[in-house]
Amino acid sequence: MRRDQMTPLERLAAYGAGAPIDRLPCVPIVGNTAARVIGVKVGDFRGNGALIAEAQVAAYRLFGYDTIRIFTDLYTQSEAMGAKVTYPEDETAFLAAPAIDDLGDIDRLRPADPHRDGYLPQHLEAMRRAVEQVGNEVAVTGAVTCPFTNASFLVGADKLARLMMRAPEKVHHLCELSLQTNIAYAGAIIDAGCTPSLTDAMSSMSVISPRQFREFSFPYLKRLIDYIHGRGKSVTLHICGKTAGIWESMVEAGADCLSIDNDADLGEVRLAVGDRVRLMGNVHPSEVMLQGIPDAVRRATLSCLAQAKDSPKGFIVASGCSLPTETPFANIHAMLDTVRAAGWPAKC
Amino acid sequence: MSASEQELFQRLSDAVVEMDEDESVAVANEVVERGIDAYRAIEQGLSAGMERAGQLFDEEEYFIPELLMCSDAMYAGMDVLKPHLRSDDVAEKRKVVIGVVEGDTHDIGKNLVKIMLETSGFAVTDLGRDIPPARFVETAKEIGADIIALSTLMTTTMEGMGAVVRQLSEEGIRDRFKVIVGGGPISQGFADRIGADGYAVNAADAIRLARALVAPAEAAA
Repeated sequence: MRRDQMTPLERLAAYGAGAPIDRLPCVPIVGNTAARVIGVKVGDFRGNGALIAEAQVAAYRLFGYDTIRIFTDLYTQSEAMGAKVTYPEDETAFLAAPAIDDLGDIDRLRPADPHRDGYLPQHLEAMRRAVEQVGNEVAVTGAVTCPFTNASFLVGADKLARLMMRAPEKVHHLCELSLQTNIAYAGAIIDAGCTPSLTDAMSSMSVISPRQFREFSFPYLKRLIDYIHGRGKSVTLHICGKTAGIWESMVEAGADCLSIDNDADLGEVRLAVGDRVRLMGNVHPSEVMLQGIPDAVRRATLSCLAQAKDSPKGFIVASGCSLPTETPFANIHAMLDTVRAAGWPAKC
Repeated sequence: MSASEQELFQRLSDAVVEMDEDESVAVANEVVERGIDAYRAIEQGLSAGMERAGQLFDEEEYFIPELLMCSDAMYAGMDVLKPHLRSDDVAEKRKVVIGVVEGDTHDIGKNLVKIMLETSGFAVTDLGRDIPPARFVETAKEIGADIIALSTLMTTTMEGMGAVVRQLSEEGIRDRFKVIVGGGPISQGFADRIGADGYAVNAADAIRLARALVAPAEAAA
């Protein structure tokens, strides 16, 4: 198999400048699979920045993908604002209870301090350590759960959905608090030498309408992206599920790169907004990456390349969402190897 | 049927579609006061409205917030009408046990499927979220369920679905229940692999699946 000729930083810089590269950038979005790389339990990551960094750096070195993302679950910021998170011994953490049960307590909620609250300091430590170890060759990003999604973890998704209709001003208040947490955390991530990586699961059209997205999610997302741009960083925005009706808004919010889910169509997004933003996607994380064989990964990767390799603002071959913990290593290698074999300009 | 009866049913249906809880309760009270059959008011009014809402969801006119508000209006009217059902109205319904598997607390999808199943005439026992496999099996046995419906949004918890099917097989009661699965990371391929009876891509599909799975038995009965 071909070896990489460039480091990820060299590759992305050259790609952005329109200079020759050895292959397209490729990012199978590795989260807790990193625990498997160094043989630790997922639960061991809880509050252990050094271990998260060790695992993520080892996973990067094993697979050779183009971005390291410090991410364990979506709840880190909401937890720092009072949400209860359950940490199974060896599986991904999940939300046990929102920050408040009673809306009467909404005034007690405060933005989180990234240097003090929850496990945010430990995640920042993981970012700093990863940058120390490999920051000269690869970009390290820190996952930020965007305002609307974080707001849903503060009161619960059902309650937030009903509040959108019954008491929209409360939703705005929760999004504003979440935005303040996001901005403080994004600032700390940049201070740590990293780039914030935006995830906004609940802003999906699988949940809310494009109109609701404009009203409740877009204004906060835009302010967050404006802040990050103001600090000189570009922004990748991932929204899960169906997104066709909000691609224009995602671009208007200022995203430089849209990371789309497998529920969205790469060919369509390319036609719709490929002339304005870089695209990233969208091999199915569970059906192909978790449950498929390497040949299925190869075919799915080639299909992504066929749909978007010539996208005017660039294309990053990626999974449609974070990979499941137990994704076979062979499948992650298969994605990278397929992209290496396709070379540049990519042949498929 | 008199025109005014039809009119009331239509208003109930509209109240659900328009997410108007107060209107739903007001019309349901009118139905009761006028001695109109509560069962038909539920079937042709509230449930019909929820089915229309489901269609609007399929057509991407409505999204999850609207559907939840419609269901609130439906249940509000239902609460008024239910005490007025005659005992012979309460036919033996097909029973479903539903829940989100252990390790996951995303339950909006499960809640939607539950609402639509109830609308379609199933009796649903909702175990909630973060449910261990054994509890699905115990409950299904206890209530004599026809269907066990499993939901998850997380790839980390998918395997719990397989554990339910395995436990049913180990206890030698696999053929007593139909097992259906759904949720973000789930696919037909996964359903086949764990030996489930069916996979549904969304709530409307789950209803079609549930109806189809109990249909042959119904025909034989």
